[in-house]
Amino acid sequence: MPVTAALGILDGLQVVERDRSAEHQALQRLAAWCYQYSSQVCIPGDRPGLFVEAGASERLFGRPADLGARMERELNRLGYHAMIGSAPTPEAAWLAAHEGLHIAGKETIRRQLGPLPLTRLYLEHTRIVAMERMGFRQLRDLLRLPPRTLTRRFGPALPDYLDRLLGVRADPRALFQPPETFSSRLELPAEIHVSQALLFPLKRLLEELCGVLRGGDTAVQTVCITLGHEDAEDSRLELGLQSPTRDSARLMTVLRERLERLRLPAPVRDIHLRAPRLLKFSAGQQTLFRDTPADRQQDIEQLAERLQARLGRGAVSGLAGVEDHRPEYSWRTRALDEPSRCIALAHRPAWLLPKPRRCAIENYEILAGPERIESGWWDGRDCRRDYFIVRDVHGSMLWAYREYKPRRGWYLHGIFA
Amino acid sequence: MTDKTAIDRLLEATPQLWKGRQSSRGQPVVPTGHARLDARLPGKGWPLGAVTELICGNPGLGELSLLFPTLAALGEQGQWVVVVDPPWIPYPASLYAQGLCLERLLLVRTHDDKESLWACEQALSCSRGGAVLAWPQRIAFPRLRRLQLAAEAHAKLAWLFRPASALEEASPAALRLQLEAGDHRGMRVRVIKCRGNLPPEPAWVPGPFSVYAKQPYQTREHALARHPLSAPATGPVYPWAERPEYSGCDQRYH
Repeated sequence: MPVTAALGILDGLQVVERDRSAEHQALQRLAAWCYQYSSQVCIPGDRPGLFVEAGASERLFGRPADLGARMERELNRLGYHAMIGSAPTPEAAWLAAHEGLHIAGKETIRRQLGPLPLTRLYLEHTRIVAMERMGFRQLRDLLRLPPRTLTRRFGPALPDYLDRLLGVRADPRALFQPPETFSSRLELPAEIHVSQALLFPLKRLLEELCGVLRGGDTAVQTVCITLGHEDAEDSRLELGLQSPTRDSARLMTVLRERLERLRLPAPVRDIHLRAPRLLKFSAGQQTLFRDTPADRQQDIEQLAERLQARLGRGAVSGLAGVEDHRPEYSWRTRALDEPSRCIALAHRPAWLLPKPRRCAIENYEILAGPERIESGWWDGRDCRRDYFIVRDVHGSMLWAYREYKPRRGWYLHGIFA
Repeated sequence: MTDKTAIDRLLEATPQLWKGRQSSRGQPVVPTGHARLDARLPGKGWPLGAVTELICGNPGLGELSLLFPTLAALGEQGQWVVVVDPPWIPYPASLYAQGLCLERLLLVRTHDDKESLWACEQALSCSRGGAVLAWPQRIAFPRLRRLQLAAEAHAKLAWLFRPASALEEASPAALRLQLEAGDHRGMRVRVIKCRGNLPPEPAWVPGPFSVYAKQPYQTREHALARHPLSAPATGPVYPWAERPEYSGCDQRYH
């Protein structure tokens, strides 16, 4: 129907131009998403749809009809409307999808698809018009004729199509290969002004991502989100995780914390979610009782992610020793996956003051010492000190030193807590 | 057992029963590692799945060394210890020497008290087991109660180091201890509050260097000065108020 005719029938019709490249990209993403249900997914280049082989995983996902219903439900949640049907051959499945049919065996294809009008067949329009002129109305009219007659009348393409439809001839297809990265863009129907409101569309994108991850048996550690604004620079968000995951709930907790602290410079028009690197997923063994060291490690990693999402990257760290005689250089923070090597020094305080504090030693009682520390001539922070354990009038045990180099004087440096 | 009376059996069967000065049996505990302290504490140890408040007016009395045996044991068991906003820099070599497992030590740095308590609650409600240490300056009763509930739900050990002013506040914590500087016997640990019992007599726990206090290496006359680590009298009195600024790996203090 031409646009003008449609406009004539329905007043206030909104005309949207078909975006073939967006359609193609969506099919690519959905193919990756479907990969979680079947290892044989095919994107036919000539029509907007997907072929998914469902027979091999029947024991896992149930009959094709059940799998179809499940996929339809989940696609709906991702914001897609799917028409699903199944049949033993791809061409028959294509027709079945348009009718919402599930055809179990090859022998019933003829019966179930026979009454279909010719216009439904996946054939060139001119050919269908030609056949209709000859008096053919339904598929079964064509199936009744011997192939030779068909070839003579319509050329070899038609019997070939019918053979593939009925499964007489094999119909091999190029299989889809899952991609190495994930990228999905969502144009928002209305601009979003509040960062919290982004949660819902982002959830949809994350679920799509996680479906793709399950399909390819991969996981992500970093997810980049770009928020497009009408008249401001794009906002970028990066969700970093401590370990690879494909659990959308885990990504959502991190996202929720990030969004809570996000200030939007302008209303958001579109969202672009990217996973630059898909990593191999290793599930590890799941135990019945979640109390193994590996579980705790996982829980702590998730805690660290939650804290980092709200408090910033530097907020969470481990502690490690550094081999240096000067106490102020003998520690550092470390990432959680770094090993922590350390030497043991028993007679050292548990706390170090961030900056040694000048003190008057007359106010303290010296209990033990001295311990000479002389080091650092090679890096320009040369020092020579004598450390003492001292006690103040309140009974606090402190670590003080007398410095000879670079500045003479007494300093407090630690607390024996 | 034949000589068991009906009362004994009843007592055993109902741990919730209040038994006067006897320790309450329902609460699971973790030994403190200090025999004298264990002897005084109800249940003979730190209450598991509960908040313990350590009220300590001055630092350096041995408040951390009170925890070292327990923290070391947790490390051995593969449990994590989360330290939220430590007031000073933890010295790895010293902690390691005390048996702590640095691999399973998580440091959390926040910007203010509100975030600190939030981080604390998050840490308490993650996973089962393990310990959380925090130094809240001020904490409202309902907030503390939430921490207590989170600790209970996840079988955590939680220690809050509180300033002396906390003594005047009511608290839902399961155990409150006041630490005081002692003499050569060590630090005096006074039980302010414990569940289901009257607070017992104070215990003496050897401090880090109480042995030196008996035979001082060198004595100097010292004046009764203000505590050197406390802030000026106009500002917060408690030295905890100061937060050392360290966050990144490369950012060391000079």
